[in-house]
Amino acid sequence: MKELDPLLHSQLRLAVMSILMNVEEADFVYLKEKTSSTAGNLSVQLDKLSSAGYIAVEKGFVGKKPRTVCRVTDTGRKAFEEYVKDLRKLLNI
Amino acid sequence: MEEKKITSLEGMAIINEMIQRSKTRRFIGDGNILLMWGYLVVGVAALVWILIDLTHNPAMNWFWYLIWIIGGIATPIMARKRREKAGVTTYADKIGNAVWTTVGLSAFALTLICLGFFLFSGTDTWSSMLMLPLLIVGFAEIVQGVAIREKSLIWGGGIGIVSGLVTLCCIAGGIALYAGWFMPMFIMSFALMMILPGHILNYKSRKER
Repeated sequence: MKELDPLLHSQLRLAVMSILMNVEEADFVYLKEKTSSTAGNLSVQLDKLSSAGYIAVEKGFVGKKPRTVCRVTDTGRKAFEEYVKDLRKLLNI
Repeated sequence: MEEKKITSLEGMAIINEMIQRSKTRRFIGDGNILLMWGYLVVGVAALVWILIDLTHNPAMNWFWYLIWIIGGIATPIMARKRREKAGVTTYADKIGNAVWTTVGLSAFALTLICLGFFLFSGTDTWSSMLMLPLLIVGFAEIVQGVAIREKSLIWGGGIGIVSGLVTLCCIAGGIALYAGWFMPMFIMSFALMMILPGHILNYKSRKER
């Protein structure tokens, strides 16, 4: 049996990817609110997903406040679809 | 939620839960841009109607450009604020942006074409500027209404298209667009097309919150 993508098979990273697959782009505050995570933890997981090329992170400013916007990349989309396919196989659904 | 290993079943549950949590189609203040355009068009149309009625001077038609000037400046500012406040851009937003940009560019192109006819051949084609907003805005509203599943936008857009088609037939048939009947129809169409759905959208997004 094929092993599930370890980068996605983790609670917070999977939650982030699931949200980003469902929208065009989302900012850090939105992701933090929807995943009920802490800023520090979310930041670390976003870095991991970004390093793997699964998401693109754009850092900017709104007035003087920083704003981080994330969107899923083609690599991330493919990886997520593959992950769901493997998950379905494992669960026989 | 934190960084921890999960089982396959938990994985599937997380995916479902996050899809549910992020499927919101409405955000607070979603109807504001519609309301701004609706009140702007209705206000300027009423102003032009009153001024023409009082002065009988066709130069008052230049006031129509207030719509593009005010709307053109206010829309990007309001759209950016809305995007920042929502924190998310959905696929429906993306469709909406593309459709409304097309509407704006079409209106701009038609202005240039009408100006060209007027300057180079002296032909008055400005009445097409009264038909286009009804038809194309109505069409854009229906697309947006389908994307965010909002019936008031679909109905409003339909009313706009019907009014636009009536105007088109009048232009094609050489029937004069007298202010006495055309302006009330134009104002009523925009009120039903933008003001009413704008308030409904704001009410629903407040209620969902």
